[in-house]
Amino acid sequence: MSLMLRVLLVASAGLLCWGVVREMSPMKVGSFADATANATEAKLATPLFRHELINPAQNLPMVHVAALAETPDGITSAVWYGGTAECHPDVRIYFSEREPGGAWTAPRVIMTREEAERDLARPVKSIGNALLLANTDGSLRLLFVTIAMGKWSGSQLNTCLSKDGGLTWSRVERLTLSPFFNFSELVRNRAIPQAGGGWCVPIYQEFLGKFPELLWLGERNGMLTYQKTRIAGGCSTFQPALIPAGEEYAEVLTRDYTSARKIHFSSSYDGGREWPFVTATELPNPDAGISGLRLSDGRLLVAFNDSAKDRSNLTLAIAAKNGEGWKRVAVLENEADASFSYPFLMRTSDGMIRMAYTRKGKAIALTSFNEAWLNERELQSPKNSKGGTP
Amino acid sequence: MTRELFEHLYAGIAPWLALALILLGRNPRLSRTRIAGSLLLAFFLLRVPVGGWHLFAWIRVLEPSPSFTLTGLLGIALWQRLSGTKIFRARDWRATWIIGAVAALVLYPLGLGLTSMDPYTWGWDRILPLATAATATLLLIVGNRFGILLLLPLGGFALHLQESSNFWDAAVDPFYAAVSLVMVLFRFVPEGKKTS
Repeated sequence: MSLMLRVLLVASAGLLCWGVVREMSPMKVGSFADATANATEAKLATPLFRHELINPAQNLPMVHVAALAETPDGITSAVWYGGTAECHPDVRIYFSEREPGGAWTAPRVIMTREEAERDLARPVKSIGNALLLANTDGSLRLLFVTIAMGKWSGSQLNTCLSKDGGLTWSRVERLTLSPFFNFSELVRNRAIPQAGGGWCVPIYQEFLGKFPELLWLGERNGMLTYQKTRIAGGCSTFQPALIPAGEEYAEVLTRDYTSARKIHFSSSYDGGREWPFVTATELPNPDAGISGLRLSDGRLLVAFNDSAKDRSNLTLAIAAKNGEGWKRVAVLENEADASFSYPFLMRTSDGMIRMAYTRKGKAIALTSFNEAWLNERELQSPKNSKGGTP
Repeated sequence: MTRELFEHLYAGIAPWLALALILLGRNPRLSRTRIAGSLLLAFFLLRVPVGGWHLFAWIRVLEPSPSFTLTGLLGIALWQRLSGTKIFRARDWRATWIIGAVAALVLYPLGLGLTSMDPYTWGWDRILPLATAATATLLLIVGNRFGILLLLPLGGFALHLQESSNFWDAAVDPFYAAVSLVMVLFRFVPEGKKTS
């Protein structure tokens, strides 16, 4: 190469790099919207408790992994998947909504394997876990898993947007989150809004390892932008439930994949960028999904299967802000040989805590209660008790 | 829609080049008919329906958009095969495989969860394009032609030709990484042993 050519090429490298770097203004990662900001009605004096099914008339061999979201006008939406079995080609994502004081609408299909294939222009084996994000402008963002091959280890994350309350959805967009053929990222637990816009979505990988991560979603010039950070590596815990307290401090509870069979806990002091340690709590976990929520007094609420072996009960427990001193306050479901799984906790703008979960693999159940009910239950339950049915 | 179309078109280049190279075979004498036939056949093979989808769509299931480095290397390999001229000399290929192997060893074990550190996140930051430009500059200064090829990830990333928004995917993919590791292991290590 002549000297002149080298100089020209080096100058090209500089120019191209400048072009790339100029566009790559890093996303704002860290800092959560105040988790207790919508808890103003949380301290209602009267204990309230209600149990219902979201899809009582849906007759499918299997429904699973429900998620909830509330739009700014108070409409609560739910999504879940259903079909013959997990990872089966006929699995579809269902949607139902409820206006304040109203009833749940009949479930309708909002995503199929065929629709994902059409938009992504490639074959999809099945679809799965879905999550709804309710934006402040009223739009709904759907995050969902597609399976390219195998089972969950061969999955990818995708997203689309609805600006009409879930009636129509934009073209499906694939998120590239892993360097090895984009295997395998999944969603499961509630997303947390970021201070100043955007979302922090708990995700997890289960390809070679199983470990928890955070997906940071934003928007720039009308385009979706994203990146991720890792909570922990290895093959130990996954499916994080993210529970912030203020802009910078957050805690996660994770599902266990080790022989310890315990819910794991970690905390971050820098808006979720660094998670120095992950430790086992005293609560058991039968390698099953959990969900957590911050109460208005700063304590942690967790919904979990209170067993190291099976999912035959669904229990609520409360702990101090640092994840210590767990106290079981209520057993919501308990039936031998039955399965109650994948709780999804969120607080709606009326202060009520809503928990959707898979009931016996056949129905999506919704339990609603307020903090007064929790406090009442707590007073009746001695420390480390097994709680009691409501 | 335009962006998806360009992503789709770009994603087809590497499989087309790879198939064309395979179809051309190892025979040193290539007629024009053989060349044109191989290039056309490679294109049509990608359009062969398999299970209701084109073969290209099945390739995209596994690798939605190959790296610009791999696409460039396949382009160079094809050009060398067709013209009989050496674009990359031995030392250019050596740099290609060594840099590919180093990137693979840094990216994949940690990116797939070996520890809590995830180098894949660097691809959303400015550090990786800067490192790539610096490496390209160093190679260009010493006259290594792999430095020219390293300009492709920078240009391709700026043009948004891939589905991914992570710069790692512009620079490295599992195919380039795997070939680099194999080349370093089975080509350079024995050479090193012989000389020592």
